[in-house]
Amino acid sequence: MRVGIEVGGTFTDLVAVDRGEVRVIKVPSTPRSPDIGAFNALGAAGIPAETVTDLVHGSTVATNAILERRGADIAFIATRGFRDILFMQRHDRRRIYDLHYAKPAPPVRRRDCFEVAERIGADGTVIQPLDEVEVARELLPALAAGGYRAVAICLLSAYASPAHEMRLKEMIAAALPGLTIAASHEVAPEFREFERASTTALSAYVQPVIDGYLARFEATLAEAGFRGHFSVMQSNGGRMPAAAMRRNAISALLSGPAAGVVGAIRQAARSGRGNLVTFDMGGTSTDVSLVQDGEAALAAETEVDGLPIRTPVLDIVTVGAGGGSLIWIDDGGMLRVGPRSAGAEPGPACYGRGGTQPTVTDAHVVRGTIRPDAFLGGGMSLDADAAHRAFEDVARRLGTDIRGAAAAAIRLAVANIVRAMQLVSTERGRDPRDYALLPFGGAGPLLAAEIAEELGIREILVPPNPGVISALGLLSADYVKVRGATRRLALDEGTPAVIAADCARLRAATEAEFAELGLTGPLEPSLELDMRFIGQAFEIPVTVDPGMLGGLSAADLAERFAEEHRRVYLHGGEPGRKVELVGLRFGLRRRLDALPEVRERAAELARPATAEVVTGGATVQARLADAATLGIGEVVQGPALIEGYSSTTWVPPGWSGARDAAGNMLLRKEG
Amino acid sequence: MQLDPVEYAILSQSVIAAAREMGVKLIRSAYSTILREARDGSAALLDAEGFTVAQAELIPMQLGSIGPIFQPCKAMFPKETLEEGDFLVINDPYSGGQHLQDVFFFHPIFVEGEVIGFAASVAHHLDLGGGAPGLNAAARDVYAEGLIIPPMKLNMARDWNGGGFQRLLRANVRVPQQTMGDFDAQIAANNIGVLRVQELAARYGKAKVKATMAALQDYSERRMRAAIAQVPDGTYRGEAQMDDDGLGRGPITVRVSVTVAGEAISVDFAGTDPQVGTNLNCPFASLISASVSCLKAALTSPDIPFNDGALRPITVTAPKGSLLNPNHPAPVRARMVSASRAWNAVMMAVSQAAPEQAIAQGYDTTTAFCLSWLGPQGWSVYLEVYGGGYGAGIGNDGCDAVDNPLSNCSNTPVEAMDQDFSFFRVTEYALRPDSSGLGARRGGAGFSRSYEILAEEALVSYYSDRFTGAASGLFGGGKGASGRCEVRRGGEVISLDSKVSFPLRRGDVVTISLGGGGGYGSPAERPAALIARDLEDGIITRSLADSWAS
Repeated sequence: MRVGIEVGGTFTDLVAVDRGEVRVIKVPSTPRSPDIGAFNALGAAGIPAETVTDLVHGSTVATNAILERRGADIAFIATRGFRDILFMQRHDRRRIYDLHYAKPAPPVRRRDCFEVAERIGADGTVIQPLDEVEVARELLPALAAGGYRAVAICLLSAYASPAHEMRLKEMIAAALPGLTIAASHEVAPEFREFERASTTALSAYVQPVIDGYLARFEATLAEAGFRGHFSVMQSNGGRMPAAAMRRNAISALLSGPAAGVVGAIRQAARSGRGNLVTFDMGGTSTDVSLVQDGEAALAAETEVDGLPIRTPVLDIVTVGAGGGSLIWIDDGGMLRVGPRSAGAEPGPACYGRGGTQPTVTDAHVVRGTIRPDAFLGGGMSLDADAAHRAFEDVARRLGTDIRGAAAAAIRLAVANIVRAMQLVSTERGRDPRDYALLPFGGAGPLLAAEIAEELGIREILVPPNPGVISALGLLSADYVKVRGATRRLALDEGTPAVIAADCARLRAATEAEFAELGLTGPLEPSLELDMRFIGQAFEIPVTVDPGMLGGLSAADLAERFAEEHRRVYLHGGEPGRKVELVGLRFGLRRRLDALPEVRERAAELARPATAEVVTGGATVQARLADAATLGIGEVVQGPALIEGYSSTTWVPPGWSGARDAAGNMLLRKEG
Repeated sequence: MQLDPVEYAILSQSVIAAAREMGVKLIRSAYSTILREARDGSAALLDAEGFTVAQAELIPMQLGSIGPIFQPCKAMFPKETLEEGDFLVINDPYSGGQHLQDVFFFHPIFVEGEVIGFAASVAHHLDLGGGAPGLNAAARDVYAEGLIIPPMKLNMARDWNGGGFQRLLRANVRVPQQTMGDFDAQIAANNIGVLRVQELAARYGKAKVKATMAALQDYSERRMRAAIAQVPDGTYRGEAQMDDDGLGRGPITVRVSVTVAGEAISVDFAGTDPQVGTNLNCPFASLISASVSCLKAALTSPDIPFNDGALRPITVTAPKGSLLNPNHPAPVRARMVSASRAWNAVMMAVSQAAPEQAIAQGYDTTTAFCLSWLGPQGWSVYLEVYGGGYGAGIGNDGCDAVDNPLSNCSNTPVEAMDQDFSFFRVTEYALRPDSSGLGARRGGAGFSRSYEILAEEALVSYYSDRFTGAASGLFGGGKGASGRCEVRRGGEVISLDSKVSFPLRRGDVVTISLGGGGGYGSPAERPAALIARDLEDGIITRSLADSWAS
C-alpha cells in the first residue's frame, strides 16, 4: 500500500492507494506536534503501518520553525569584516512609506556571529589564506562555549572556491563532533553573499528541527511495524528519502504548495493535458502556477517571512484571496477582498461561529453556488441567514441589494486571482488562452469558469477530489535532486564544453547520493542555464536538454536566451549585446510507477433537481448533479452545480461539463 | 461615464498592476548597478492630460513629481500632434525636471487613434557626461553636471534604433554599454505599460479605462483628504539644517510652516536660506516630492495609491532663489540632501500636529558615493547610494542601516563588486556600535564600508551631510552619531569633508561611515532588558549602556 500524508494548517490529508483502490481521509491537524495528526489520519483510515510499502510525507514543520522563530540556537561565521551580512540585508525597505519599518529578523543573534581572517577572490584564487591558528585559538572555544546546536558558515566567494569553507568545517567538526554544520558552498553555491548567507543560516536553523521531527516520525513508524520506504516532499516538486532530508532540510520548505502542483500535473497528464494554469484555492489564500509541457517552472529563489532562500522551488505565486477572505469597503469607498481572512475562527459568517463580516464563502452561499445543506458532503450545515446579514452593510454602501453585493464580491475575488495568473503568464510572455485551467483545493472549482472567462481560457480540467490533490501529489512525486552552481563566463565556442563538464560533475555527485540512498533505476537529467546580457544583474533561466548540449553552439545558446528575454521584456538582442552564462541548475529525476486512477469519493446526500443561483445579474435554476455518480461521457449543461465530497464545481450558463475517461471533469465553453 | 463599483475596482487594480510590472521590468532588464542593484528608477501611468494615475513604488523622491515634470512636455507637444512611435524625453531641472541624471521618458498610449494616456519611466543614469565621471562635486552650474535635455519629441524609428538622438547620447556618456542599455530598459518598460493599457481598453472599452484613470485619482484625493481631516487645524513650524554648502559656509537652514486647514495642507518654505553655489540646490519638482512624501508617510495609510489625486490637497511654495527653488543655472546634482532637510522640517512640523505618527530624525542623508578609474579598457565607474540609521518612533527602534525616507536604493553585493571592478575591493561592511541616538526607543544604527584601492590614480567623489551636524532626537530622545569619511594611507589617516572629490593611490583604504538615527522619548524610559540586549549584541558598548541607565 502507498500512502501520502499532507499536513496543512487546518487539515491533515491522507491518500492511500492499494491495488487500484484509492482512499481519501481528512482529519484535523495538530499544529504543536504535526506527526500526531499524521498518525491519527493513518488510524482513521484503518491502515496498519506494516502494510504500508511507501509513505510520503509533506509538512509545514520547516516553514513554521522559521515563521515562529522556533529553530535551533545557531552561530554564524563570516569573512572578517562581514559578520553583519544578515543584518545589513539589502539596505532597502519593502514598504517605502512605512515610517516604523523593521527589517525581517534573521534567525541568529548578532552576538552569535563570528568572523575568520581569510579572503577568496571572484575567480576562486586565495587573496588571504585562512588563519587556522586564530580559528583554533579564538573561534573554536567560542563555539564550544556558546552551546549551539548548529553552525552556519558563509565566506565571501565560497561559490567560486569552497576551499576555506571546507577546511573550516573540517576544523569545527573535529573540535565539536555532533554539531550540525551548514556551509554555504553546499547549501547554495551561488554568488550574492546576503542571499547565500541567509539560505545557509536558515538551513542550519531548521535542520535540527527537521532532523528531530523525522527521527521521531521514523521511530513511531518503526514501533508500529513499518518496513517500507519513508520519503519527504521538497519544494522543487520532487521527493527525497527521509534520511537525505535530515541532512538537507532547506529543500523541505514550502513543500505543501509544490505537492499540489505535482498532483495537478499528474492528474492532467491522464487526460493528455500538459499546458496548465493551476490554482489551489484554500481558506486564506490561493496559489497559482504555470505548467508548460508537463513541467512546472522552477524559481531559483523564494522567501519565508521576508528572508531570502536560494534554492530551486516550484514557481508559485500566492494571492490573499481564499474562501475566508474578508469583503470590505475602504475609507475611499472602494470594494476590497482580502488580504485579511476570517481564518478558522470565527470563520465565514455562514459557519455560525460568531463571524459577522462577509467572506467569499458567504458570497457563494448568498448567490447559491454553495448550498447550505451540501457543504462537505452534507457533513456541515451552514447558516444562510447569517451570510445574508453579513452583506447588509456592504450592500447598503454599494447602493445595491444583498445578492448584488455578493455577486460584486465574487467578481472581485475572481479579478484578484486573475491578476496572480497574469503574473505567471502574461507578464512572462505566455498567453493564458494556450493553457487549460486546473482548479483544486476546496474553493477552486467554484470559481474556475468565471476565472477562465476573464482570461479567455476555454477549457477547464477539474480533478476528482479536488480538495486532496496535494496529498495525491505526494504519492505521485518522483525522486528529484537539483543542484545549482555559479559558472560565470561570456558565451564563446568553449562554453558548451564547460557546461557539459559541470553537468558531468554534478551528475556524478547526485548519482553517488542516489546510490547511497538505494535509489536505483534509470535517471532522467534536466538542465537550466541562467543567462543574461553582459551588464545585467538578473538572469533568465533557459531550459536545455542536457543530451543535446553537444549539438549546440554558443550562438544557439545566445539566441535561445535572447528569445526568452524578448518574450518577457519585449526587447533584447540589440546589435553589440553579448550574452553571458551566470549559473546552471542540474537535476536528476528517478521516476515512479504510474498511479492508478482516482475516483470521486461518494457523498450520501439527497438533493433536489435544481437550485437557484444568481449569475450575470439574473437568477437561474441550476441543475444539481453528484460528482461521484456522474458517468464517463455524460454531459452536464450549465447552469449546473456538480457537488462532490470536498468541493463543488460551478458550471455557468454557456459552459458544459463531462467526466472524461481519465476520471477528470472537463468543462468547456460552448460556441 | 458611470463606472459600476466592481468594474472600477477591477480596472483600477489592473492599472496599478501594470505600473508595478513596468517598474519590475525596468529594474530587471537594466544594465548599470545604480539601476539594477540600487533600483534607482521609477515607472508610472499617466492620463491623457499627463496627470499620474498609478506608479510602481520604488523611489519616493521620483514618485511625487512624474506628473508635474510631464507638463512642460505637454505644453510644447500637445497630444493631438503626436504620432505612433513618438515619445517625449526630458531631464532639465529648469524645465520641471529633478537632476540631470534622472532622465524621464514618456510614451503615448494610442487607442483607436486617440492618446488616452502616457507610460512614463525615469531612471537615475550612472553617467550623463559633464565635468567628472558619475558625479561632479566641483560643478558650479548645471552645464557642468552633464548633458541637458529640454522637453523633446522624438520618434523610435527616426531618432532611436541607430538614429541621431541615440547616437548623440551615446557620444556624450562615459559608460555607454550601461547607460544605453538602461535607456533601452526604460523604453521597454514604457512599451509594456502601453501594451497593458491597450489590452484593458480592448477588454473593457476605451471610455471605461479613461473613466477609471480619473476615478483612481479622485479616490486617492478622497482618502488623503479624509486622513488630513483627522489632523488638528493650525500652523506648525519646523526647520532642519545641512552642515554646509561644500565650500565651508554653513550651516544652511531650511524653514517651513505647515498649515492644516480642514482637508487641505499648505506647505510654505519661506525663510529658507538662499540658494548655494554648489550642487546642493533642490529643484522645485524635488521639493514637491519631498513634502508630499513626508505628509503621506506620516498622516495616511500606506495603501493609498500615490498619484496626482494625492497631491491635490497639498500645496507647496518656496521663495524663488532659495535653496529649495533655485534660479537657473544653479547646479542641483545633490538635491537629495537639501530635499531630505525639507522632509525633516516638515516632519518636525508634523510632530507637533500628530506626535504619535511622527518619527525622530534619521541620518536621512543620501550619500552618493562614487569611485572611478580610467583603466586601459576605458572608464570604470562605481556608484552606490547609502542611507544610515532611521529615526525612532513611538513604538519602535529606528531601523538599522537602511536607505533614507526619500530614497530606497539597495546595496550592491560585495561579490558582484568583486566580479565587476578590478580597481578596488570592499574589506568591511559593518554596523557602527554606539551610533544610535538614545531614547525610550533608540535610533537606528549607522554603518560603515571600507574600500581598499588596488590601482593608481583612482578617484573618490561623494556628497553626504551630517558630518558636523547629527540627526536630532524627538521628545527627549538623543542625537544619532555623525557621519565621516577617512582615507588610511600608510600610517596616516586623512579625514575628508562631507562633499568632496579626492584622488587616491594604490593601497589607500577609504572608509565611509554613515551616521545613526535620533531616539524617541526619554532614555530613562527604555526597558533595561532592551539596553542589555543591545549591549550583548554589540549595537552599543558598555559606556553607552551606562550613560543610558543614568
